[in-house]
Order: sequence, then C-alpha cells, then structure tokens
Amino acid sequence: MDVLNLAHGAFFAWGAYAGFAVLNALNGLGWVETGTLGQGILSVLLALLAALAIGGVLGLFLERVIIQRVYGDHLKQILITMGASMVLAEVIKVLWSPNNQTVLVPLSFTGSYDVMDVVINKFRVVAIVVGLAVYAGVMAVMQKTKLGIIIRAGVENREVVQTLGYNINRIFTGVFMAGAALAAVGGSMWGIFREQITPAMGDENLIFALIVVIIGGMGSVTGSFLGACMVGLAFNYVAYLVPKLALGANILIMVIILLIKPWGLMGREQ
Amino acid sequence: MTGQAPTPVQMERQRQRARRYTRPGFLIQLALLACLVAGPMLMPSFRVMDLVAKIMIFAVAVASFDIILGYTGIISFAHGMFFGLGAYSVALICHYSQPVQYHHLLLAGLLAALISAVVAVVISALSLRVKAIFFAMVTLAVAEFCHILGYQWSSLTKGEDGVSFKLPGVFNADWSGGSLWGTQINGRLLVYYLILVVAVLLFVGLVRFVRSPVGRVLKAIRDNEQRATALGYRVFRYRVLSTVFGSLVSSLCGALFAMWLSYVNPDTVLGTPLMLNILLMVIIGGLGTVYGGILGAAFIKIAETWLPDLQKLALSLWPKVEFMQRLAERWILLFGILYILSVLFFPKGVVGTLRDRAEVRRLRRLGRP
Repeated sequence: MDVLNLAHGAFFAWGAYAGFAVLNALNGLGWVETGTLGQGILSVLLALLAALAIGGVLGLFLERVIIQRVYGDHLKQILITMGASMVLAEVIKVLWSPNNQTVLVPLSFTGSYDVMDVVINKFRVVAIVVGLAVYAGVMAVMQKTKLGIIIRAGVENREVVQTLGYNINRIFTGVFMAGAALAAVGGSMWGIFREQITPAMGDENLIFALIVVIIGGMGSVTGSFLGACMVGLAFNYVAYLVPKLALGANILIMVIILLIKPWGLMGREQ
Repeated sequence: MTGQAPTPVQMERQRQRARRYTRPGFLIQLALLACLVAGPMLMPSFRVMDLVAKIMIFAVAVASFDIILGYTGIISFAHGMFFGLGAYSVALICHYSQPVQYHHLLLAGLLAALISAVVAVVISALSLRVKAIFFAMVTLAVAEFCHILGYQWSSLTKGEDGVSFKLPGVFNADWSGGSLWGTQINGRLLVYYLILVVAVLLFVGLVRFVRSPVGRVLKAIRDNEQRATALGYRVFRYRVLSTVFGSLVSSLCGALFAMWLSYVNPDTVLGTPLMLNILLMVIIGGLGTVYGGILGAAFIKIAETWLPDLQKLALSLWPKVEFMQRLAERWILLFGILYILSVLFFPKGVVGTLRDRAEVRRLRRLGRP
C-alpha cells in the first residue's frame, strides 16, 4: 500500500490487551481456568474475535482520521504513525496499567503433548494452525478473488484503478483495517502464548518486523517470509549460544544483506 | 571594487549587512544570552538553573536533529542513541579513571565525537544509498539495539543501575569557591557556565552550517532531489555529511547532559522516550528553522516541570475518580495528541509560522514602494 505504518506494533499490543480483557471476563463465568474443553476453545475464539474487532476499529479510525491526509508523503507518514503509536500505547496504560499483566490461559490449552519423546506445547500447535490459516486466507483472497486483483492493481497504480470505476480510497481503508485486525489477532495469540503482556510489547515486536521487511525487501510477501525465517532462526540459535547478542546478530544480518543487495532479498529497485 | 555600479541584489545585501546589529532578531538573541549569563546570579534557585541547563542542552540537540530532519529530509530515529553514546562516553571515562582529571573530560568529548561520527558514517553509508525511508527503519533498529546493549552489557555499563561519577576539580559538585556578589560559586554553577559556553558555540556552529553553501545544497536536495542531482551535486555524499554532522553535535549534547547530571542510565539517555521528546520538540518548534529547537525544548521542558502540579490538580478535583488520575499521570498522551495535531495542521511549527508571516509582510512592503 506504500504506507509506512509504525503504529502496527500498537495494534499488536491492543489486540493482546483485548484478548486479555475477554479472557478475564470469561474467567468470571468460570470458563477459562476451570472450564471444559469446549468452553476453553470458545473463550480463545472469543478473545481472537475481540482482538480482530478492536484492530479493525482502530485501523479504520487511524486510516480515516490520520493516514488518509498524508498519502504519498513518506516523511509525514513516519512522523505521524510514530505519534499514533505513542498515543495508543499511552491509552493502554490509562485503561489498564503501565505494569505487566498476566494472561489467563484456558485449562485445555496449558501443558504439552508428548509425541515420541518430543515435548510440544499445546498452544504452539494452535498458533501454527491459526497462522497457517491466516496466511492461506490472505493468499487466497489476494490471488484468487476479484478483490485481490483490484488491491494488487491499486498498489501498482492508484489512478488507473480509480479511473476504472473502483473507489480505491474505500478499498485501501479496508486493506488497512484488515492489516490492523490481523496484527491485533497476532498480538492476542502472542499474549496467550507468552502468558504475559506489557504496553511496550508492540514496540519490541515492531523492531523485528522492520528488520524482517528490510531483509526481505519491501512489497514482497515471499521476501518477508524468507526474512522472518532468517531472523527467527538466527535469533534462536544466537540466543542459545550468546544470549546477549541475539538482536545484534539480526542487525548484523540486516547490514550484510544491505551491503550485498541494498533493496533486500526480494525487493525491486525503484 | 570593480568600478561597476552595484546590482540591486548587491545593494540589498549591503543594506542588510548594515542593519545586522539592529535587527530585532539579533537583539532578541543578545537579550536571551544576557538572561542566560545573568540568570544564576539573579535567581539563585536550583530548580530554575536545572531547568535552564536542560533547555540549553536540548535546544542544541533538537537543532541538530533539525539539520537532519528539517534541512535534509531524512528521519533518523538514532538521534537519541547518539545523545546516549556521548553521555556514556563521559560517564564511563570519568567513572573508570581514578583520579579523574580535566583532560579526561576533553578525552571523553573527543571520544564521543569520534564514536558517533564512525557509527553515523557506517549507518548512513549502508542505508542512505537506497532510500531515505530505509534509513528510518535501520536507525530505529540500531537505536533499540544500543538501548538493549546499555542494559545487557552490565560489566561495562552497570546495566539498569546506571553509572554515577564525579567530575574533576572545580566542576565537582562538592567544590566550593566562596561567594561573589551574594551568589555561591560552586561546582554546579561552573558546570552551568561550561554548558552555556559549549551550547552557544554549538548552536552558532549549527546556524553557520545551515547558512553555508553546504546548507543551501541540503535544502535543494530536500526540495527537489532530482534537480539537485541534475545540477551535479552528489546527493548521497551531502546526505551522509549532514547526518554525520547532526549526530556528532547530538553526542556532544549527550556529553553535556551527563556532566550536568553526573549520572547516566540506559532509560534516560538511550531509551525511546528521549527520542520521542526530541521529535516532539522539533515538531512543536518548527522543522527547518534551527531556532525552533530553543522554543520546542523550552516548551516541553517547562511543561514537564509543571506536570506534577497537574497531577495534584487532578487529585484535588476528582479525588475519587481513579481514571482521571491515571489520565493526568500519562501526560505523554497529551503531548502525543498535540504532536499529531501539529504534524497535521501546523507542520512548520511556531518559528516557521512566525517566519512565514514576517516574509509575507516583507514582500507586501516591497510590493508597495
């Protein structure tokens, strides 16, 4: 979409807090920490849905009120989304508190499976399934539907799509909302997985997202996928060997990639 | 003189030169300088002196950020990091050298300049080749890395606890040299004057830089990169130069800040809040004005000192409503909203808007001879 959104991390954090709030409320009904399998699944689903809704609403608001005014001006986009991310993180601190919160995890999702002596955390399986489903869904919409064609064409050339009679502004608002909603779902999954959330969690993850995008090259989903694999693997291996230098290793990779291919692995020269 | 009659442009320049010591701008600068020099004598309150010293340091830091953002059109999220590098080089050198001496301060300043110049060259050489936007992302990542390094490398930086140190000789807070005209002369006061001298020198340097031929080229690149390239300027080199210069000044500001506090920790000199503060100050003061830095820094720092009173007010107005108190506690929220509004509706800031008005008035006067 050619929008640089530094507030993406804030959507992530908002999703986590929305999920946290829903799980807390449902725990009042006795669904979460003591409930049955069905209640557990339902409560996680509700938490994800709440995150989706919150992300969508925030995305709609941000796009309509702020970002639409600064289309085409990268400098202002960076400045203003930085401000928005600051405000959103502060609102979290007002509504909840600046301190860490512990997320309640449904009984049926705690613990792990033991498959031939390999211990697999239960929620990891859920996370992988949901992640793959979201990826498949996004790819299907983008590649197979008419909407996907319009979006891809709009990214390529706004004006032409507009002259063909599509309301590109409305479509881009929708795309932005979808992006924000997915970030929020990701945040809520992360919150349940880590069992702990902080208002600053958005910024922490934003750094990784930026490194991934720089390594992979802007405007390429496959590049991002490659970048994410490299960053994730490098982080885990280096964290195992020299824990303190894990982020440094990622920055080193980024520097090397920038030296060899200044546009990223899959990026196109503009 | 060549004997030819001066052109109208030359005549206008000569007229401006003749007026330069009576311009209102110059008189305001002079008055401000006099206030800063005489301030500690007239108002012997530590709170005020602390505030003024911080405003001076941040005014220069913000003005140097303005060189990068306002004059070159590059967003660097590492400006706070350079500030922190300067602060840490002073703190570590003074902390680890026993006994600490004057030349250690000089050494620390040189070290700060050297480290920040090298880091800035490396970062900008890597990421400015591509697109100015990459620079923003790379600096954000590197700055976050340095922040984490400040925490984790605890054998050197003492991690979260921070480094406290003593300044040498007459700058030491315990030193006392009697009193002059009723003002106590002590280490704090001398550090204040040291900051004043260095800050004024740096600020004058920044203003000269902006008005130099290099500064004009930077503005040209910001306004129309293709045209500047076509005119034969090496855009990449100029961008690197401006980034390195701005970052270097920022690290010296950090060194002054560390000297003033005699203490550094990762959150105050390397963290994101510092970077956000600098961004706020530059936006409120006005992009591309340099002088905006003074106003922005003064506004934010004065507001910060008054905000505890706002909290007390909230406590007295709504003693039962916890939500309102939390809102008053989160004053960054108010700053953030102010920031977004000023980026949207007031992009030139206070100084820029005033300057535009003055320019309109001048043109109108020229139009009616």
